[in-house]
Amino acid sequence: MDLAFQDLKLHKGRFIATMVGVGLLFGIVLAMNGIYRGVIYEGTALIKATGPDLWVVQRYRGGPFNEQSTLPEFFHYSVKSIPGVEKASPFIFYTVERMVDGQSRHFSIVGYDVFGGLGGPKKIVAGRPIQQAHYEMVANVKLGARIDDRIALGLHTYTVVGLTNDAVDPDGDPIVYLSLHDAQEVLYQQDNEEVRNQRERLLRTLSAQNWLTPDKAQKLLDPPGADTHIINAVLVKLKPGISRVQTARMVEKWLYLNAYGTKDEVGLVLKGRLTSMTHQLLLFRMLLLLISVVIISLVIYTFTMEKIRSIAVMKLIGAPDRVIVRLVIEQSLLLTVGAFLLGFVLISNTYSMFPRRILLLPADDAVTFAVAVAAGVLASILGLRHALKTQPAMALGG
Amino acid sequence: METLRIEGLTKTFGAGNLEVRALREINLSVSRGELAALLGPSGSGKTTLLLCVSLILEPTAGKIVFDGQTIFEKNRWSEVDIRRLRREKVGFIFQAHNLIPFLTARQNVLLPLNLVGIKGQKAENRVRELLEYMEIAHRADNLPALLSGGEQQRVAIARALANTPKLILADEPTAALDTARGAKVMELLKEVARENRTTVIVVTHDERMIKGFDQVYRLKDGCLNGDRERTV
Ligand SMILES: Nc1ncnc2c1ncn2[C@@H]1O[C@H](COP(=O)(O)OP(=O)(O)OP(=O)(O)O)[C@@H](O)[C@H]1O
Ligand SMILES: [Mg+2]
Repeated sequence: MDLAFQDLKLHKGRFIATMVGVGLLFGIVLAMNGIYRGVIYEGTALIKATGPDLWVVQRYRGGPFNEQSTLPEFFHYSVKSIPGVEKASPFIFYTVERMVDGQSRHFSIVGYDVFGGLGGPKKIVAGRPIQQAHYEMVANVKLGARIDDRIALGLHTYTVVGLTNDAVDPDGDPIVYLSLHDAQEVLYQQDNEEVRNQRERLLRTLSAQNWLTPDKAQKLLDPPGADTHIINAVLVKLKPGISRVQTARMVEKWLYLNAYGTKDEVGLVLKGRLTSMTHQLLLFRMLLLLISVVIISLVIYTFTMEKIRSIAVMKLIGAPDRVIVRLVIEQSLLLTVGAFLLGFVLISNTYSMFPRRILLLPADDAVTFAVAVAAGVLASILGLRHALKTQPAMALGG
Repeated sequence: METLRIEGLTKTFGAGNLEVRALREINLSVSRGELAALLGPSGSGKTTLLLCVSLILEPTAGKIVFDGQTIFEKNRWSEVDIRRLRREKVGFIFQAHNLIPFLTARQNVLLPLNLVGIKGQKAENRVRELLEYMEIAHRADNLPALLSGGEQQRVAIARALANTPKLILADEPTAALDTARGAKVMELLKEVARENRTTVIVVTHDERMIKGFDQVYRLKDGCLNGDRERTV
């Protein structure tokens, strides 16, 4: 015969209502764990998936994800010439807002050397990698495109030849892979009308100078043109046994560039972009747990108050304190564990419907469960104190 | 054989102006299987005496010997596990609300058995036997709220009897019942004392209820009025 359970049978409605309420709170706490892990996962997914030995970026810059880093494309030849470098590939990454399938979509474009260079998509779940120099793309299924779909970006149309399912940028938006030159074109190539307008503006500025004849000004309008051969980083693969740190130092000293290992790059992103976010989530989880403790305490306290006379009777007929402690704590734990299971089932069945990735880790669930159980015990203290102070003589009152 | 002996028991509540001398130098002795009544007006100290005997209130002075064991002497409890003594050797019945409202009649009787470690079929058998003895077995699975006052008191007696106690203490067990039902409950208590050789002390302020008791103690302002009288 379980006293706690027998008592709860009489308060089924209130007990279940509280359990559902606290269960929702626990569900939110679990979801926040998942959001936290998801933010870290997505924030670093591209860096880890790309995973070169070194990221070479513009001098003094923490790029290419934390801030803009611009390098001339040919720099990858210079990097390649550093001793110990096996492969050095150009890499470009930027975020766009374009129409896809009639809808404005936010996503990122990665351009890489499709002929054996580093930085391409890691896992293709359908179709094939890019095999031609132009007009092919590999997209994340999250973009909503299917194989053989044709998507217009800027001046040209690109055919989807392959799909990934996990390539996301640090904001969790899908990534589209293009060949380096396509990516540069999408980023820099201007519309013809826009070019004409720009030339007109430049001509007027130049003609305003007295020392230029209109003829000469016209000639100055034909410089090599806007340089689209720009990249954001050079990805480096080192020969076996070559020190990452020493090569990075060489790159910095000889080429006046910065070089980071993939771990450093991940660290930069976590520290730079994600710290405040993660602190925020931690704080909210603590607040929610605190609220849960308060709610459970109050409910257990009222449950205990309502049976204070029964507790007095039990003491009178000689029940040891442990029977009474068990009665109170068991109810608190039933409430906590029930609520946790409810929240757990809820979030496990809905996490995939959230707009951003919720990464549920068994270890996080286990820690949260332990914290919840501790909270449940803590929450019973108020009721417990009262129960233990109850005088058995109270049972005899009229 | 003596079940309970009280010598010079005194209980004072509060101090100074607020001092209440609830019990003064009480002496009494009850033997095995005896049925004793404690009679007295309201405020005379009946409940206080019962609480002292059941080790819930600490007496101010005096000596209590229970079942051959001195449990209180010279202002201090002896080294006894009071709750254990209560659950193993004492049964309680009081005016009303004896039963635990969230347990059925059966479970209420089962509780003291479980508390002393009797479980399973053995305990169930004992519960059924007790409920049948009290003629309440047909209501075994009802919660107390669904039982009448008299039925509740019968379940309470069954519970008090569960661990075959040496002593049953009953504080106005008939006060919440009408005369006929009260008389029936008293009859049951007498039967229990005789058949089980259990000592029963009943507190009451109703003279009509004490017919057939072995001893009657009259309390007034905390004093036992004269010597104990023997009734026949
Ligand atoms: N905890 C206490 N503190 C102070 N005084 C108390 C306390 N308990 C009882 N008293 C006093 O002791 C005296 C005896 O009380 P007790 O409850 O024993 O009377 P009683 O004979 O049981 O009365 P009733 O028939 O009304 O139940 C009363 O004057 C009461 O006010
Ligand atoms: Mg009283």
